[in-house]
Amino acid sequence: MITPGSALQMRGITKSFGGITVLSDVGLSAAAGEVHALVGENGAGKSTLMKILAGVHQPDGGEIVIEGELVRFARPADALAHGIAMIYQELSLAPHLTVAENIFLGREPLRSTRLKIINRPEMNARAASLLSDNGFDLDPRKRVSQLSAADRQLVEITRATVEARRVIVMDEPTSSLTTREVEELFRLIRELKARGLAIIYISHRLEELESIADRLTILRDGKVVRSGAWGELSTDELIRHMAGRELTEIFPPRNVEAGQTRLRVEGLSLEGKFSEVSFEARTGEVVGVAGLAGAGRTELVETIFGARAADSGEIVLNGLRLDPARPDHSVASGMALLTEDRKRTGLCLNLSLARNLTLANVRAVLRGWRLDRKRETEAASEYIAKLHIRPPEPARTIDRMSGGNQQKVLLARWLFANSRVFLLDEPTRGVDVAARSEIYRAINKLVEAGAAVVMVSSDLPELLGMTDRILVMRRGRLVAELDPRHTTQEEILKHAAVEESSVRERAGSEDVLQVAVGQNAAARE
Amino acid sequence: MSDWIKRFLPFVSLVVLCVLIAALEPRFLSSGNLAGVARQTAVIMVMAMGMTVVMVSGGIDLSVGSVMALSGVMGALAMANGAPVTIGVAAAIAAGAVCGLLTGAAIAVLRVPPFIVTLGAMGIYRGVALLVTDGKAVVGLPSTFGYLAEGHLLGVMPVPLFIVVLVGVTTHFLLVNTRPGRYCYAIGSNIEAARYSGIRVSRYQVLFYALLGVLAGLAGSIESARLVTGQPTAGEGYELRVIAAVVIGGGSLAGGQGTVIGTIIGALIMGVLANGANLLGISSFAQQVVIGAVIVLAVTFDEFQRRRLEATSA
Repeated sequence: MITPGSALQMRGITKSFGGITVLSDVGLSAAAGEVHALVGENGAGKSTLMKILAGVHQPDGGEIVIEGELVRFARPADALAHGIAMIYQELSLAPHLTVAENIFLGREPLRSTRLKIINRPEMNARAASLLSDNGFDLDPRKRVSQLSAADRQLVEITRATVEARRVIVMDEPTSSLTTREVEELFRLIRELKARGLAIIYISHRLEELESIADRLTILRDGKVVRSGAWGELSTDELIRHMAGRELTEIFPPRNVEAGQTRLRVEGLSLEGKFSEVSFEARTGEVVGVAGLAGAGRTELVETIFGARAADSGEIVLNGLRLDPARPDHSVASGMALLTEDRKRTGLCLNLSLARNLTLANVRAVLRGWRLDRKRETEAASEYIAKLHIRPPEPARTIDRMSGGNQQKVLLARWLFANSRVFLLDEPTRGVDVAARSEIYRAINKLVEAGAAVVMVSSDLPELLGMTDRILVMRRGRLVAELDPRHTTQEEILKHAAVEESSVRERAGSEDVLQVAVGQNAAARE
Repeated sequence: MSDWIKRFLPFVSLVVLCVLIAALEPRFLSSGNLAGVARQTAVIMVMAMGMTVVMVSGGIDLSVGSVMALSGVMGALAMANGAPVTIGVAAAIAAGAVCGLLTGAAIAVLRVPPFIVTLGAMGIYRGVALLVTDGKAVVGLPSTFGYLAEGHLLGVMPVPLFIVVLVGVTTHFLLVNTRPGRYCYAIGSNIEAARYSGIRVSRYQVLFYALLGVLAGLAGSIESARLVTGQPTAGEGYELRVIAAVVIGGGSLAGGQGTVIGTIIGALIMGVLANGANLLGISSFAQQVVIGAVIVLAVTFDEFQRRRLEATSA
């Protein structure tokens, strides 16, 4: 791993959160003047690794060496001081400041050093020239809150290019950019390479990596599974590694025929998120929804559930039209949403396991006006036994449980609410293997009992193993429906990742995959 | 371990405080003095019960002092115009309920932060109280009205103390044993999780602010009975004492935590501090310094707890 001239080396990095190991013994090196692609499925630990590099998180073990010097970053400012800049996936600009103020935040050109008076004309002029050098057409005096998501991304990129002296990390920088802007970004990246910077580039999009990556590291479940020069790896291998695990996990079989339609979604649209989505889910069936991060899957299920208001379209549950944006009506009609973000929209962290479990159906533990604690504890114990929730203590505060067990409690919340239509958004994200199979078994039981399940997942083996049909979303649209018995991870990924334009322009349906990875695939043959 | 500290620290502090003051000044323990403490803190306590509910649900209400004055004035106006005492008290409570409903609706429906809404409401309700009375005290109240503040039930129990016990038991039951109470903790713990569980969060928020309004109306009646006038300037600064009682008693400004028992202890700590300082001849100016410091300490403690919780679950 130790390359002479490495701008950066991370060695043996280990990190765990709340007892769950996110990174174990991860190494990464980047040389000056090269683009190092970092790939892996969601939750593989890419972002955590980069946050350690940026000083946001501190590693539990391992070391970071920059140009031969061992460094420790206690805070983001330390990383910046060593010339490491990061473009975050979630935007991190101050919305009420102008473009120029954001670019120069913390290093404003001063009129008087002693009095710390900002030289505004100079700041704006310098920002303007930086932006135009980068090929971005933006007014430095404009407030960031008035910019589109794509323009904000450009400001973020420009700021990072000012900060970076050695390493620049780009975490999915093109997620909100247009094709032309992506071209400008790639031109800029080549310029940064020529300036001797090391670039670490995270992306799911193969065609992007193809045009800029020099080296490649693949992470899976917090470990490096492959690292080497771009091109060393065959396309098949690459896609398989990106897609995730092999189908080694055993998915419990299920014995049920699909029945009548329970949920019908008709032309549902939410501006900027998804448009004209229509599909059905029937009793006794699991409908999978595949797609890349940002494809609009979470927004779709949240809108179906009523947590967001759709711009148009309708949702029909058990033959009745559902009121828009009324999650209470959805729950009362037997719909459940197991949310993607447990902490934000699922758990009441300072309440007990039992109270979290009964939250969507408190009515069932009422005796007249009064909560019947005994009945509540019994209900909790019943689901603790059914789903093997550990530790089996109904009174335990839920923030002191592992992610897998928290997820089981949230699933139990909807089982206890007698839901009939389940929207499961990444049901096994951040969940250990043991808890996964409990969750799969519970899902199968529900489906056998006549529930309809819509399962959003980025875990392709899970989709293949658990669903009856797979809908693929790309940039807010349903683009394909696949039969899990006759499809592959590669095919799903191809539909989810490949730009429509490149498909249309350059290929027939036969060999879209080769177009996606272009020359690399060709070179292999 | 930290749960244990959190639960018992206010109680232990109160006991230590009482022992300390009693050691320095034995008169503190006389039944007359203790009844006095109870009477003085009754108004604060009644409102603090409602504030506990609002703060557990993740809200805050800076307008309680103003609502108390406005409803006290409304009740007094009714009685001054010939209404019997019961109708007068009912009018005060109704006025408080309306204020609470309006505040709660603004917060829940318009989704404006409660701190801002109630900061504005504090000025609005106070202004209305001053407008309807032209800034003057409402006089000519029936003499039987004073019973609410000065009377004794069965000849022994001060009426305000009885009201405190009644309100305390009811609020405790509401928070611990009913569905709205459960939702209150859930909303304060994670409002989004509550919404995603099918709870009509806004409806319950309005309910909680209305409940606080009712209790502020009741407190306004007790206060005007004590003064035997309807004072539009009554209750100035009470909001901070009420919030302090909740916070000292273990309630969290972040929501999701707080108990009626804790709040009672919190109010008593402040009452005993003030009373003890009076007995020991410490100036009321110095008292303000001490009470302020206690509030800061309690909130600091709460913050440290919260940070530790976040650190362990990150």
